[in-house]
Amino acid sequence: MALLEARDLRKTYRLSRTNVIEALRGVDITIEPGEMVAIMGPSGSGKSTLMHILGLLHTPDPAVPGESPAPTLLIDGRDMATLGDGARTRIRASEMGFVFQSFNLVPTLTALENVALAGDYAGMSGAQARAAAAAALDLVGMGDRASHRPSELSGGEQQRAAIARALINKPRLIMADEPTGNLDSQRAAEVLALMRQFNREQGQTFVLVTHDAEVGAACDRIIRMRDGLIVGDERVDSSLAA
Amino acid sequence: MTLLRNLGRRKLRTGLTIAGITIGIWALVVFSSMANKINSLVEGGSEYYGDKIVVTDASGGGFSTLPVSIDSVVAIQGIDGVDVAIPQVAFVADADATISFGPPEQVVGGVAGADEGREGFELRASQGRLLTADDEGENVVVMGADVARSRAATLGGDLVIRGRTFQVVGILEPTLTAPDSSIFMPFDIAQSMLHEQLPPIISDQVSATEIASQIVVYPDAGADIPAVATAIEAAVPNSSTLTGAEFDEVIGSTTAIFSAIITGVALISLMVGGLSVINTMAMSVAERTREIGIKRAIGAGRRRIVRELMLEAGVIGFIGGLIGLGLGALVVVLANEAGRSGGTILFELTPSTSLFAVGFATVLGIVAGVIPAWHAARMDPVAALRYE
Repeated sequence: MALLEARDLRKTYRLSRTNVIEALRGVDITIEPGEMVAIMGPSGSGKSTLMHILGLLHTPDPAVPGESPAPTLLIDGRDMATLGDGARTRIRASEMGFVFQSFNLVPTLTALENVALAGDYAGMSGAQARAAAAAALDLVGMGDRASHRPSELSGGEQQRAAIARALINKPRLIMADEPTGNLDSQRAAEVLALMRQFNREQGQTFVLVTHDAEVGAACDRIIRMRDGLIVGDERVDSSLAA
Repeated sequence: MTLLRNLGRRKLRTGLTIAGITIGIWALVVFSSMANKINSLVEGGSEYYGDKIVVTDASGGGFSTLPVSIDSVVAIQGIDGVDVAIPQVAFVADADATISFGPPEQVVGGVAGADEGREGFELRASQGRLLTADDEGENVVVMGADVARSRAATLGGDLVIRGRTFQVVGILEPTLTAPDSSIFMPFDIAQSMLHEQLPPIISDQVSATEIASQIVVYPDAGADIPAVATAIEAAVPNSSTLTGAEFDEVIGSTTAIFSAIITGVALISLMVGGLSVINTMAMSVAERTREIGIKRAIGAGRRRIVRELMLEAGVIGFIGGLIGLGLGALVVVLANEAGRSGGTILFELTPSTSLFAVGFATVLGIVAGVIPAWHAARMDPVAALRYE
């Protein structure tokens, strides 16, 4: 069974009466367990909107009779399209990890506390969360930087801490929105290699939104978007992948 | 820990908000202590007047200081429903007493034991003894706790009242009401002192032994007190009576209004404090929009966000409440220490007032935090993440 299966995803933002943006215009997508998928496309192509819906941060538009069918969004075969905010939040907490372009660590918390926070939200006790956070930071090579605040860490270190936060609950699905966008090429390569490593060793599924061709080339599969539609879906020749 | 760190990173704003709450709670503590003291004075009076009828002269209008005739005692004794009637003398201790806040120092003269055990308000001596019937004719006094302190009286020492020298034979335990500021002396001595104070046109017509300030009437158990009071007024010419119920009505309602005004002032200052908590928390939410977005994205539920922010607001309120209580208690202690030398204890800070002040501040903070917290929890996590 597919890990993630979506059909007829539409998302329209009405900014004003005349300014309506159709960010997604009917997207079907299936992602298998263990895949590392890049979603690529120019700005405004709808790739971030798609990731927000797949990551349960936003909901797809409901059916419009006579115009569009009801959307389907299945994770492990469970329907997500109609869940309320509380249920979606719980699934985000325990079954998904998120990595963002601008790292998005809480500035007042240390790296360890930031990572432990995600464990806490998924229901771990304080001590459990701290132990799991320490282990996750070790995995990303940040064990010796655990007690530093984000402002005391470099961009690459912050992103590694963010990856540790995404990994702490051992989710099957990790969503990464331009994870290398704010890093220089060397740090970007390190972060990418780290994700690739977890994908290979732990079998975690990664969905990356990027417009960096090198990031796309490092994945198993590239989905290309334009104007709110998927315009290409290709396998990456693994002999070229790192 | 995280919570304190969050408050700590906005020291100035948190500090100002706490100061707002502090001032409100400070006002509440001080004003409530004042109201407590007034209430306990009223309660003391209410207890004192409880089941008796006080008869005074009414010929000079409502605020007469003319004495009543001692002959009236006999007339009152004969009225149906009257158990015991005893004459008493009461006058202000200082001839030139200025108006002061709180009860004036008073001289009370009565024959010890004349009430035949009917007085329910029991006095106890902390030093020396109480007056006895044998003291009649002697220049001796027993002093209330506050007046003893204000006049630096010592047991066995001398005390001069209106030119007459007395020996202090006893000092009373504090009662927190009228007896604390009263000086008790034998009835016949008080009578002659009262006589000296009368205008010559009156004092020439009566002798000291014929007069009293008031007659205290203890009705029979189960007697209809208002009816007895009416009968007394009918039987004694130019007399006016005050029953316990009337005391409660007159004094109680006046002080209730006073207490309400005092409490109102304190509550208004707290409202202002509460608004400043709302402001601080709203600013804090705006400032942390992105942080709230991060937390929501990685799995913090709405309730969790609300709880976190409300707890923060509650801690602001709690800290403000504690500091306000501390400053209020300081004012109460200092003012009471200063007032003690003048015999005026103005404040009474009770444990329940303290608990209420801190509890109220905490609840106020939490309630003030609700709106910003709920607003924060309703934000779209994606939009919050993009917020710069």
